[in-house]
Amino acid sequence: MMVELLLIVAFGGSLLTYVLGKLSSRLRNGFALLNALALVIMIGMLYGQEFERSLPFGFLGIQFSIRMNMLSWFFAATILGIGLLAVLYSFRYMKGKERLDYYYFTLLFINASMLGTVVAGDLLSFFIFWEMMSWSTYLLISLRGGGKAIFAGIKYIIMSLVGSLAMLVAIVSLYTAFGTVDIGELAVHMQSASLGLALLVVILFSITFVIINALWPFHTWLPDAHAEAVSPFSAILSAVLVRKGLYGLFLLMYVILGFSFLDRLAVGAISFSNVLAWIGAITIVFAAFRALLQNDSKRILAWSTVGQGGYMVLGVSVATSMGMAGGTFHILNHCIYIALLFFVAGAIEHRTGGIRDLDSLGGLIKKMPVAFVGGLVGIFGLIGLPLTNGFVSKWLIYKSLILEGRPFLAFAAFLGTWGTILYGYKFIHNIFLGQLPDELRDVKRVPFTMAVPIMVLVVLVFLFGVLPGIPLSVVNQVGTYMGFEPLDLNVWGIPSESGTLNVVNLLAAIAVAGFLVWLLFKTLGRSTRVDQSDNYAAGAAIPRGRYGFTREFYAPLYRIVSPYVKDFPDALFLWIADRTKALGGMTRKIYSGYVGSYVMYIVLFLAALVFVQLTWSPW
Amino acid sequence: MRIVWLFLSPLIALVAGVLLLGLSRKIMARIHWRYGPPLLQPVIDIIRLFSQRSASHGILFDLGIVVSLAGSLIITLFLPFGNIAPLSGSGGMLVILYMMLIGPLGIALSGGESGNPNASIGISRNLMLAIGYEVPLLMVLLAVMTRYGTISIVEIVRVQQASTWSIASWPLVVSGLAYLLVMPAMLGFRPFEVVQAPQEISSGPMVEYGGSYLALVSIQHALSLYITISLFVNLMLGGSGNIVIFLFKMLVVFVLFLFVNAVFPRFRIEQAVRYLWRWPTLIGLIGLVLVALVGR
Amino acid sequence: MVSPVLLIAVPLGLAFAMPLIALISRRLPRFVPLVACAFNLIVAIRLIPTVLSAPVIQRIGGFSPPFCINLFAGPVGVMFAGLIALAGLVIAIYALSYIRTGPTVRYHMLYMLLLVGATGVVLTGDVFNLFVFFEVLCISSYALVAYFGDRNGLEAAAKYLIQGAVGSALLLMGIGLLYGLFGTLNMADIASRIGSVSDISVFVPLALIVSGLGVEAAIFPLNAWLPDAHSSAPSSISAILSGIAIEVGLYAVVRMIFTVFGATSIFMFLLFLGVLTVLMGELCAFAQTNIKRMLAYSSIGQIGLIVFAFAMASTISLAGGLFQLLTHTLSKALLFLAAGYMIHRSGSMEISSLNGMGRRMPLTSLAFSFGAFSIVGLPPFIGFPSKFLIVRSALEKQQTLFTLLLGFVLLGTLVEGAYFFRVVQAIYFKKSGDEPASRSLAPALPLISMLILAVLIIFVGIYPQPVADALSTAASDLLDRAAYIGSVLR
Repeated sequence: MMVELLLIVAFGGSLLTYVLGKLSSRLRNGFALLNALALVIMIGMLYGQEFERSLPFGFLGIQFSIRMNMLSWFFAATILGIGLLAVLYSFRYMKGKERLDYYYFTLLFINASMLGTVVAGDLLSFFIFWEMMSWSTYLLISLRGGGKAIFAGIKYIIMSLVGSLAMLVAIVSLYTAFGTVDIGELAVHMQSASLGLALLVVILFSITFVIINALWPFHTWLPDAHAEAVSPFSAILSAVLVRKGLYGLFLLMYVILGFSFLDRLAVGAISFSNVLAWIGAITIVFAAFRALLQNDSKRILAWSTVGQGGYMVLGVSVATSMGMAGGTFHILNHCIYIALLFFVAGAIEHRTGGIRDLDSLGGLIKKMPVAFVGGLVGIFGLIGLPLTNGFVSKWLIYKSLILEGRPFLAFAAFLGTWGTILYGYKFIHNIFLGQLPDELRDVKRVPFTMAVPIMVLVVLVFLFGVLPGIPLSVVNQVGTYMGFEPLDLNVWGIPSESGTLNVVNLLAAIAVAGFLVWLLFKTLGRSTRVDQSDNYAAGAAIPRGRYGFTREFYAPLYRIVSPYVKDFPDALFLWIADRTKALGGMTRKIYSGYVGSYVMYIVLFLAALVFVQLTWSPW
Repeated sequence: MRIVWLFLSPLIALVAGVLLLGLSRKIMARIHWRYGPPLLQPVIDIIRLFSQRSASHGILFDLGIVVSLAGSLIITLFLPFGNIAPLSGSGGMLVILYMMLIGPLGIALSGGESGNPNASIGISRNLMLAIGYEVPLLMVLLAVMTRYGTISIVEIVRVQQASTWSIASWPLVVSGLAYLLVMPAMLGFRPFEVVQAPQEISSGPMVEYGGSYLALVSIQHALSLYITISLFVNLMLGGSGNIVIFLFKMLVVFVLFLFVNAVFPRFRIEQAVRYLWRWPTLIGLIGLVLVALVGR
Repeated sequence: MVSPVLLIAVPLGLAFAMPLIALISRRLPRFVPLVACAFNLIVAIRLIPTVLSAPVIQRIGGFSPPFCINLFAGPVGVMFAGLIALAGLVIAIYALSYIRTGPTVRYHMLYMLLLVGATGVVLTGDVFNLFVFFEVLCISSYALVAYFGDRNGLEAAAKYLIQGAVGSALLLMGIGLLYGLFGTLNMADIASRIGSVSDISVFVPLALIVSGLGVEAAIFPLNAWLPDAHSSAPSSISAILSGIAIEVGLYAVVRMIFTVFGATSIFMFLLFLGVLTVLMGELCAFAQTNIKRMLAYSSIGQIGLIVFAFAMASTISLAGGLFQLLTHTLSKALLFLAAGYMIHRSGSMEISSLNGMGRRMPLTSLAFSFGAFSIVGLPPFIGFPSKFLIVRSALEKQQTLFTLLLGFVLLGTLVEGAYFFRVVQAIYFKKSGDEPASRSLAPALPLISMLILAVLIIFVGIYPQPVADALSTAASDLLDRAAYIGSVLR
């Protein structure tokens, strides 16, 4: 009953939030938070349960069912957790903006739909929730209004529509072939499926999931959508919504098809997993270099979301326990630190009056320390420095790639990380370091309700980085559910049987070394604080203005790289859209407005019919 | 015993690094037909610097340096040093690769906080140069790891000692060549001395450091020299079971690149990256392909 | 048991009584369509259980078929009649406040005649009778398109008239030929004898009838009148034309092909025609900047989709086609009704003039979005089950050709999604140019009619089972020629 209740609370809560918003905004905010909190508690209570159950109603003769298992639980927990933080964060971020009832309603509705996709026990209800998620997301992306946001919304929904049409065809093919869309039953039937059908289904599903997971070459909707949405929603988009694509891939690859079947889907070296892995690798490298070229705080993060998706796919497609654990764990980790980073970028935006341009910021470390800590930790996690959560999952992915003898894929993954360092540092440097512009002299601190989610996520980044055994045991259960051997774990990491990783050594070493150096520094060093503006001219009067170096931070690299990392897929899709419109314009000319030609069409149609029949008599 | 080495090996590394620094000045001077400072000049400098007053520009300005130095110290625990590698069992090469980021990143954060444009330019160059040499370097490292089928550096050293050095074995010799080509960039030697470039950007990231800050940065620099060379020796020259031989190998490599340093002028950053992405990358790629073809 | 004749007779009588009613009070006639439609709706609903078990054959004139004019109230016919009454009722409610100027009495009278014509077409069992009702339908639509009497309306009506007349002429010729061949006008009778003559002599009337009816059914390339007519008519009329008139035309085509001619071999041709119609309609709509023209072109696309479904000629595909027809009637009517008041408010039909309408007319905008989402086929709206059925039927053919054609149809859906989503965005997220964002609701009556449609769209979308069941019975009724012939000629 719990899962049904979960869905009812989620959907009902979103509607009720809207209604309450008409009464009072405080009531609405309180209720939204309470609702999100209740969902988190409920999903906590569902931990470890595994069941599948038919619902008492269906759709066009197809019985709906719901399921709960570790895979569903894992994704549901990330959705609801980030949902709660986003709601809390929204209170101040959205304050004073228009259409708040609508905002909270849609936000909760999207969360509810995402929840629906992961607890759906049959593909039809999965599809229905998926579609609801798609269109409600579209309705929220453009909330800010303005040309860019509107463009982002339409781009998203069209690509998402391509995906869902592909998925619809795939699901219906399965239905016509086996007479069921229940995931559990399909898993059994699929083993006897013909290769042609399997290939069709796999390709169509992959299109959907690659689009929503924003892998190259279907990543093009993501940078626009994530940059233009309001920040709490960008966090949701980046952290959980995009990862529904991976949930779908898990479902397709390991729950429905299974290993043995995946192996059959291969022609020589070209197997489904290989293709997927290479898409992931291209995505990583491409996104890293694209992110380098960005100059908008949220666009950098958006591109990094694209790239990190590539890591997950790499891990997942290696299909060893370790790769799988790495990929799955990376979903969780990415969800944490990208939400953190979007919250930070949002806080900056909130306090500086909407500045996202990295050239106009700087020196905010002194004004917004919480945001700085959040940003730094988030970037560390993104890079995957030791003691942050990103390190553990990336370590697992790298290691599995190397041990599986896939050095080129591993190279792409490494290169992506080094790209991440560059844009990550640029993000930190241009926002927080350097000189504070005069306009930003009276920027205030991050408001409390926005700081809380940031700090929670900061703690999580370190917690999961230092004690990776805790989340990894959950990840292990996800892997076990999909039929992988569990990894050996202890709370500090991975003991040597399956490849050593011992975070506690790292922690101790860093702590001791840091302490010793700090001691050395404190005892021997004597320093006075000097204002930045005194640096440049040693205290002599210099004209006020900016002396920071932020503009075109990696200019020489841009010059080398930019001809090669043009967003060709994006240009292609826009060209297609443009051509379609032109084609529409041309087609319209058939309806010339001259009634004589219209009558001629009718007569010609008849004549053609008769002529064809007389000549070839096909009918 | 392990506990002792835990504290001893960073110290040895520190001493070795500082001596290499002193040696470099001496050798450079001799090549330039100068007499040069005494070998212990860096030590003297550091002691002097610690006694001077200095200016700070904020918490991160301090913390960045501390983190940077601490990070560099820790790597020495992961790198086999002779037959000693106190923490090498905690994640292998991957951890080393990541830990090697902490040093430059700490300096970058600290220098960025200073708000000096020269520092920022230097850091930006440093990061660009890093991605320049990381491309071939990663190919080399992956070739080595794939060839030996392990990510443990201790294992890599052990295998080499059982057979031959990587750089003398087929097909890793190709990767070794690429590694040789990127070493100057990793060491920050000419023609890749774009980061500090004293004549252009007043020592770049170091521009705001004085007193104890400069002392710590110098120590970090010495350590990073040690780490870079030691990694090369371990991966390519078979490491050593003996500390003395190990240090000797390091010395030979270091002097070799000092000669290169002495005779070359400086690239522009763009030229440096273009070069690194052309020849070393090509050779590294060939090496990696060969390894992938030949297998373990 | 109620007689299906009432479905035609009562509205017809009321329509002709309209001028008399107007004599009593000028305000009264506008309620007459309401009464008539409500009556028809009740009758149709009461008839449905009966006809689901066995069709009702109503003989007129006392002779037995084939010598009399008979009504054939099968599941399809009665459901159609019910749908017509429902749409008629909703749109009549809307028109109560929407149609205020001009010759309102004549409007309501013509409106009634249009509905009578439509109901007659779907219920009749006689080819000539079909023609007559068809003319009633068409002529009243010509007049209604020109209702405002402005230049655009008159021009569109004239074009519509010319093309419609050509179509009617072809239809009449076809019927004449049939009569010449068989000496009978009864559909069942013709159907039972169609195999007795040579193929080519059957083909000519078939081609004439398909072309003639195709004009009204808006099948490409016979649909050139549609964009003009639908966009120039008053919105209530656009809604009924899009929602009812072309569907009735389509019904007639399908009835002729399936039942009378049994011409299974022409399905492949229709299939391609359907796909072509989808692509043409959607592409043209994509390039539009005028909201009503966009909706009109979208209707063409929808008709193509329905033709595609019908032409696959399986029970599921026919059910899907009928379901899509229902979807289109409800959603497109809702879209036109909503657009009508938005246009009324902004004074322009340009899509850009709808910018920011979401703030000014929140409920109307919401209704429009419901309609748009439903037409595109998103769950949980009514468009989803119908699209699901169509996709399912195409894939159940298990042939590459059908899958490929389905791909093209879905491409059309994609284009459709693109332009509808663009409009929804404009309504909600674009800032309106000059006008301050004051809120104002449309008057209550139009809102009620939009609400009814919106509720239906959601309700059936969530719970499509009963509708789907009824429609699959209807589909087998359409497919089963022998049963049709048997039940009429008994």
